[in-house]
Parts: sequence; C-alpha cells; structure tokens
Amino acid sequence: MNVDLGILIDPLSVFMALVVSGVSFLIHVYSTSYMASDRGYARFFAYLNFFVFSMLLLVLAGNFVLLTVGWAFVGAASYLLISFWYRRETATQAGIKAFVMNVIGDLGLVLAAFLLFNETGALDYAGVFGATQDTFTENDGTLVAACLLLLVGAVAKSAQLPLHTWLADAMEGPTPVSALIHAATMVTAGVYLIARCHPLFEQAPAAADVAAIVGTVTMVYAASVALVVTDLKRVIAYSTMSQIGYMVLGVSAFAYGAGLFHLMTHAFFKALLFMGAGSVIGAMGGVQSMDRMGGFRRALPFTFVTFTIGALALASFPLFAGFFSKDEILAFSINRGGLYAVLGVIGYLAAAVTAFYAFRMVFRVFFGDEVPEARAAASGHVEHHAPENPSTGEAEDTEVGFPGPEHHYAERSLGMRAAMAPLALLAVVGGVLSIPGVTDTLEHFLEPTFEDSAFIEAEAMPSEGAELAGLAVGGLMAFAGIGLAYLLYLSRPGATLELRDRFAAVHRFLFNKWYFDELYDRLFVAPSAAFGRFGRTVVESALIQGVLIGGPSGLVRAGATLARGVQSGYLRAYALLLLFGLGGLALYFLIAAS
Amino acid sequence: MTLVAAMKGPAIDYAGLSPLFAVLAGSITVLLVGLFPGRAVQHALVPFLAGLSLAVATGLAVVHWQTGDLDPIIEGALAIDTLAYGISILCFVTGLATIVLGLRSTAVPETGSGEFHSLLLASIAGMVLLAGAEDLLTLFIGIELLSIPLYVMCGSEVRRATSLEAGLKYLVIGSIGSATLLYGLALLYGSAGSTEFGRIAAAADPGDPLFLTGIALAAGGLAFKASVAPFHQWTPDVYQGAPTEVTAFMAVATKAAAFAVLLRLFDHALASAQPDWGPALAALAVVTIVIGNVGAIRQRSLKRMLAWSGVAQAGYLLAGVVVGTRLGIQATAFYLAVYLLMNVGAFAVVIARERRSGTGDSLESIEGLGAASPWLAWPMTICMLSLAGFPATAGFFGKFYLIDAAVSGDYEWLGVAIVVGSMISLVYYLRVVAVMWMSPEQVELPSGPKRRLRPLKPVTGWSPEADARAQPEVTGVAILMAAATIFFGIVPQPLFDVARDVGSSIAGLG
Repeated sequence: MNVDLGILIDPLSVFMALVVSGVSFLIHVYSTSYMASDRGYARFFAYLNFFVFSMLLLVLAGNFVLLTVGWAFVGAASYLLISFWYRRETATQAGIKAFVMNVIGDLGLVLAAFLLFNETGALDYAGVFGATQDTFTENDGTLVAACLLLLVGAVAKSAQLPLHTWLADAMEGPTPVSALIHAATMVTAGVYLIARCHPLFEQAPAAADVAAIVGTVTMVYAASVALVVTDLKRVIAYSTMSQIGYMVLGVSAFAYGAGLFHLMTHAFFKALLFMGAGSVIGAMGGVQSMDRMGGFRRALPFTFVTFTIGALALASFPLFAGFFSKDEILAFSINRGGLYAVLGVIGYLAAAVTAFYAFRMVFRVFFGDEVPEARAAASGHVEHHAPENPSTGEAEDTEVGFPGPEHHYAERSLGMRAAMAPLALLAVVGGVLSIPGVTDTLEHFLEPTFEDSAFIEAEAMPSEGAELAGLAVGGLMAFAGIGLAYLLYLSRPGATLELRDRFAAVHRFLFNKWYFDELYDRLFVAPSAAFGRFGRTVVESALIQGVLIGGPSGLVRAGATLARGVQSGYLRAYALLLLFGLGGLALYFLIAAS
Repeated sequence: MTLVAAMKGPAIDYAGLSPLFAVLAGSITVLLVGLFPGRAVQHALVPFLAGLSLAVATGLAVVHWQTGDLDPIIEGALAIDTLAYGISILCFVTGLATIVLGLRSTAVPETGSGEFHSLLLASIAGMVLLAGAEDLLTLFIGIELLSIPLYVMCGSEVRRATSLEAGLKYLVIGSIGSATLLYGLALLYGSAGSTEFGRIAAAADPGDPLFLTGIALAAGGLAFKASVAPFHQWTPDVYQGAPTEVTAFMAVATKAAAFAVLLRLFDHALASAQPDWGPALAALAVVTIVIGNVGAIRQRSLKRMLAWSGVAQAGYLLAGVVVGTRLGIQATAFYLAVYLLMNVGAFAVVIARERRSGTGDSLESIEGLGAASPWLAWPMTICMLSLAGFPATAGFFGKFYLIDAAVSGDYEWLGVAIVVGSMISLVYYLRVVAVMWMSPEQVELPSGPKRRLRPLKPVTGWSPEADARAQPEVTGVAILMAAATIFFGIVPQPLFDVARDVGSSIAGLG
C-alpha cells in the first residue's frame, strides 16, 4: 500500500482555499490591532498560521490520509488557540473539552477511511469514489456505516448535535480566533467533508437522511439556546452552530451549491459579527455579558453599522448575502419533498428565530440606555475593569498568558476597521453570486466537482417560481423575527423579563442549554472520573506506588542506611570485614575443591 | 686457562619496553628538574616534562601496537601485547588529565611539583608493569610500584587532616591487600611450581586445595585494588580524603590496571579453573553491584558518591572477567575506556566547583550550575547520564557490551544484576543532574557593572563570569571528556575496533 502526499485541486478545494485564505487574511489584519498589547503576540500568530496551514492541508488533501492529518492538525490548532490565555482555568478546560470532542471525530474519520479502504482498496478520493458505484449497492450496510462514521467526524468538527458542547466553551479563546476558527473556517469543515464525499452519501441516502436530521435538529436547538444566552460571544457561537445546521441540511439534501454558498456568505457575516463583538468587548474592557452592555450606538458608530449589517445578513434580511444563500438551501430541500420538505419548513421557522436573536443582540448592545463604558468610549477612553474572567467573574492572574492591559476597539484601531469594512461589504453584496434567475456563478464554478451527482440536473432543482416564493417567505420570516425583537426590546422594554418569569421553566431549560453538559457529565465524565479516582487511589497509590515501587525502593533505602552504618570510618572495622570476605572466598574454594 | 664464567642475561626487547622506559625516564627527570626553584620551573616546566613523557609513551605504545597473542619478553616476565598497551594507554591518558587538572591544585606545590609528578609517573610505570605482567613476580612488583606512590599522593595535601587520613588508611588497608595477594601468589607458586603464567596454566590442577586457596587469596588481594566488595570499604574514605585530581587518577588508572591483571591472571594463568572461580567472582560481582549502588544513594559528597559509583562499576566490569571469554575481555577493555571518559569528566567538574564554591565537593556546590555555568553543567550531565548508561552516550554501549558478554558466557543472571544495578543507580546519578538544573543558585550573584573593559581576575569567592574562564584547563578537560562520551556514544565503532584488538591478546579463549 502506498499513499501519496497528494493534493487535489478542483473547484471545490479551490473554493474552500479561497474562503479560508481570504477570511484568514482579514482576520490577521484585525488581529494585528486587536492583539497588539497581548503578551503572547508572537505565539498567537504562530498558532494562527499553523491553523491556516492545517486548514489548507485539510481542504487541499487528495486522499483520506492527508485529510486526516489536516483534520487532526486543525483540531490541535483549535486546542492551542482556545487555551491561548492559559492562565484562565476556564480557557484550558474549554480547550481540553474541544480537543476531546474533536478526537472523537478524528476517530470516526479514521475508522471511516479504514472501512472504505477495506472495501475499495483505495485511499485517494478518485479511487474510492470511482469504486463506490461498483462496490456498493444503494444503502449498502458497510457504506452506510462508513458514511455515519464520516458524519461523526463532521459532527464533531462542526459542533452539531450531539458533539456540539465544545463550541460555546471555545469562546474562551481570543475573539479573532472565534471569528476565524469557530465561525468562518474550521467548523465548516464538516460541511466540506460531506460535500467532498458526496458520491458516498448519494449512494447511501440513509446516512444522508441522518445527516440532514442532525443538521436540522442542531439548527433548531442552537437557535433556541441563542435566545436566552447573555454572553455576547456565546450568542454568536450558538448562531454559528445553527447556521452550520443549515449548511449540513443543504449538503445532505444534495444541494451542494447552496450549502457551500451559505458556507461562504456565513464566513463573511459571521466573521464580521465576531469582529464587531470583539470591538464592543474591547470598549467594555473585556466584559462579555450583554446584561452590562447598552447604548453603544453613539460611542461605536462604525461597529454599530458593521455589526448591524452582519446581523441583517444573518437574519437573511432581503437582499443581504444570507438572504439568498439560506433560502436556496430551503427551497431545494422543500423541492425534494418528503422528509426534506418537513426539514425545510422547520428551517423557515428557525429563520424567524434567527432574525429574532440577531436583533436581540443589536438592540441590547447598541440601543437602550448608555452604560458607563459606552459613555467612556464616546469620550475616547476605555473603561478598564480589574481583570476578571468573563465567564465566571473571578479575579484573574495577570502574569502571563493573559490579554494585555490595553483594550482595542474598531473606532480607534485602523487595522480592525480595515478588516471589518471589506467583510461588511461582502456581507451586503455576497449574495450576487447566486441570485435565482439572475446569476449562478458559484454553481457554475463548482459544477465540475459535482457533475457526477444525480442531483445537479435541472429537474432536481426547484423551479424559479418556487425559489422566488421561498425568498418571499424567507423575507417575511426575517421581518417577523426582527419585528418581534423590536417589540420586545425597544418598544416595550421589560417585556422580556415578564416573559422570562412567566415561562421560568422553559427559560431555565434553554439557559442551561437543554442540560446537555449536565447529561454528559452524568453519563461520561462522572464515570470516567470515578474510574480515574479508583485508578489513582487503588491502582496507582496502593498497588504501584505502595507495593511495586515502595517495596523495592524501601529495600534499597534500608540497604543504603545499612551501607552507611557499616562504613564507620574505623580501620579495624574495615579489616574485620576484609577478613570475613577473604574467609568466605577461601571457604568457597575449599568446598569447591572437595 | 681461564675460566670465563658466562652469564647469559635475558634478551631484552628494548622497543617493546620503550613506553615503560619513557615513563620511568620522565619520572627521574622531573624529580631532578623539580630541584630547581622558580615559578616557571615548578609550575610550567615540570608538568610539561611529565606530560611530555606520557605523550611520548603513548606515542611509542601506539607505534608498537601489534595484535595477536605475542610471546612475553624478558624471559616470559612481561607481555607487550595489545592488552598491556591498551591499558597502558588508558593510564597514560589519565595521567595526562591528572597533570592538567593538577595545574592549580594545592596538593602539587605542597608536595613539591617535582616530587608529585615523579610519584605520578612512577605509579603509572607500576601500572604498565601490572598490565603486562606474565609472571607472579612482575605482578607483585607492579602492584607495589603502583601502590606506594599512590599512598604518598593521597596524603600529599599535608596541611589537610583528611588527606593525611586518606593516605594512612590507604597504606594500612593496602598493605593488608598486598599481603593477602602475596600469600595467594606464594600458594599458586607452591602448587604450580612456577611463577610464569604460561607454566601455571599448563600445570594447574583444579582439584588441588593449595591451588584453589591461592586463587582465593590472590582474588581477594586484587579485588581490593579494584575496589570490589567486600574489599571496597577503603574506597569512599580514601577517594574523599585524597586531593581530587589524585582521586580521579586512582579511580580510573588503578582500576584499569587492576582489571588488566585480573583478566590476564584469571583468563590466562588460571583459565583451566574457570568453572571453580567463575561462580565465586560472579557472586562478588553481584555483591559489588548491589553494595556500590545502594551505598551511593545516601551520599551528599560528590566524591564519595563517585567512589561508591566506582565500586558499582567495578562490579559491572567483573562480569567481563567472570565469563572468561574473548568477548568478556573486549567488553572489559571497552568499558574501561568509556569509564575513563566519564569519570575524568565528572571529577574535572568536581574539581572546578570545589575550588570555587566554598562548599567543597558537596552536592550544594553544584546547585544551580546549569544556569550559572552551563559549560560545566553540560559535561557533568553527560557524564552522569553516561555512567547511568543512557543511550547516545558511550556508557550505554559499555554496559550493553558487558551484558552481552555476560549473557553469551552463560551468566544471564549477572546481566540481570547489571540491569537492576543500573536502575538503582539512576537515583543518585539523576539527582546530580536535577540539582544542577532544577535548584536555584545558592550563591548570591554579585551585581557587578554591566560592561567591563576586560574581565576582572577573581580574587576570592565566586563570580559567574569568571567561573568558566577561571580554570579553562579544567573546563576544557570536562568538555573534552563529555564530547568524547557523546562521540563514542554515537560512533562507537573506533572503540569497538580497539577492543577487538585487545581481545586478541590472549589466545585460546572461547
């Protein structure tokens, strides 16, 4: 068996490479300002570039081995960057959590590659996909298993249910990291994987159905949690999970062009949202809770405008980038009928929720009464709080591995504005690549990769009329969500509190993220920890330390004491021992002689 | 008619003896030159001449290097084969290192430079004799010529009580050892009827109690010189008390010579009785390995620790003798060469620190050395790792070779003992490394001016800048030895080749 260091250049990998390197570039520019006073400046960029390298390796890999290498490398880069401020205990724990979950995904990917190699005898994409039709019947058990294992990898990397809990915690990393890795690029790798392996999934529609359901469930779940989370970055993180749910639904419904289109527009507006959030957090002096924000509209005009553009794109407000890409997925999905129609309808409902929570952020952060930080920022100063952990509120060790004493925000940092402006532009006009009935540049560009797909034919596509109807519905959903947010947060402030008190149980359920963390704690963490404690106290301390090590080392220690005791320094004692030695030797030889 | 009493003197192979002559000539010359007063003579000329004679002797030994089992010269009294020359070269190199290490010693001027170097060279001459001894008498003369100057050198720091104590202890215990050895040699002669090794081998009667008792006593006497337990007890006391450069010399050269004669006596003269003495020596080896390693653990003094470590190493080396095979000789010779590198290197660092730190040779003297003077800490680290037998150091191949010899000589359990001993030894070798790199510096660093026109000469006390440069020759020796340890740890082939040559010197072995 021979595996090449093969690189595959086709429209899909070029598309991914362009998105990755383009967004990376802007985020690097942003980071030069945002991280300027961090003590780990050089370390940050070393990690960041390692990530870009790994991500490019992932998307350019020509076989499953190299893909796995890139896959694992981005996981490692993600770990390093989440735990970047390593003095924060929450950050290091978040890094570990992300890494463990990603390794579960790596395992799935490796096992899938093994199954495929076992059946097709090849590891490179061309070989595996070429042999798929001949080797497997439709919904062949092994193929479905392989696809589900691939899905495990995709789900872990893209933070879909049930391996999603790490992404919200990953917000412990610096904001540019959240923008690049945990919004725009790495977490979309699962979408890329499904799109890349589309010949497999098309031959195993059962696995594709599972993927679509997982995507939809995640979409709804994450949107519901995003309604109640108060940490600004975490809201965007749940929104990311939700949006990736759309993409997974898209590529699993075999709407590759639409799924990847949404991947691209999402990269633009989600990176933009994170950058805006970073700017607000900078002006807040490191505070991330929306409960303490408000009225930043006047203090941070640039951030306000760009963030609102991002929110509009996220809410798929008509004519913004997200409008076209999201609706294309849903239109295609409904057009396939059956299960997918149901999923598509759910998608439209989730879109309204999306619009609501997007503007919940805008209204809570930029409108309302000005908080002291906003007044300070308006006068050109940053309110500096005593350094504290944004997620626990504990005072923090500021020695090393901690953001520097200065805070940067877009209004005062050219680098940040230089990165946000182009993204804002793209979030507005990014949709022109694929307007129903007008342009189909992206589909056309990607066509060579997917020409073997049965779902690229015209008859699989929704009719133009259906698409336009879908756009209309989507637009309505956006208006509805934004309108509701306006009602609840601006015209009737305090209404949300009433709602929260009235539906306290629901709020608690959502606020605790459906108790997934608690469930996993009970199911996996606690038993593992108990086993670990058993290993430490019984196996390690008692058996290994006590018996296996303690016994011989005690013996040696006793011997050492004895040797010192015998070494009295008196010649007569030495001579005596000498005599014994000689006597013993002589005795031995005499016995040997007889 | 005249009666011409024709007395036929033995044929003398002057070429073969030339290394010995060079050393002896050097010994006499430096003694005479040392009579002249003056700093230049005492501090420069005498060490130079002593070193020159050793260098010449080394050169002569290399030139006359000839593999194979050569006939001994001077009526069968002295061998000039590769075993003799190989061990002699080790002794010459150790002597050279000792001279360099002693350049700033207090012992040398106190004894008198001429006397000290003369004694050193005389002792080396004794080692050359011992390494080549093919006759019981040569053996004994060699032992005495080796030992007596050493007794004096141990006590050469006459103003320090421990130095005198070391010399006296060594003398008394050494005399007991010599007496035992002499007794054993007498019994061997009585049993075999000859003093020549070749004839003893031919006449040996393994069933003869006289013969076996002779072996036991001779083994005890030689075990004493090689610091094999339970005849080792003088070692820590004497090593610690003696001036450190003398300790280094004793530790390496004496051991090399003692093992050379052990190899020759047991593997040649007494080879036929190997089934009898093999298990006894093997038992001694195990006892030595255990006692040496266990004894080293609790030591706070580096010199005592190295002494105990030397005892343990003697146990390892004995494995090469026990098996009585060509592989055993090769492994022993190889290990002795490696032993030279790592011990001289370690002692050089001890010397450097003991002259500077004010805490003598205790472990405290090297605390924080890694930060303060890495040029000393690295050699020490390498030597310790090599002594422990880490891969990529020469010590690894040395132990590997010995274990190989033990296992292929059907003494597998001896191999196991070596491994277990090495495991125990990590306790005290790694502690040295840990103390150097992981403990804070004890000594308060003087905050001197940042820039100087030229480095100040250290007057008293210790300064980090001066440390490495103050004794360039000591640091140099340490670095050289450590570098060689690493070199032979990665490219052991040249040393393997030499060891193979040495192994060819005794014929008729398996």
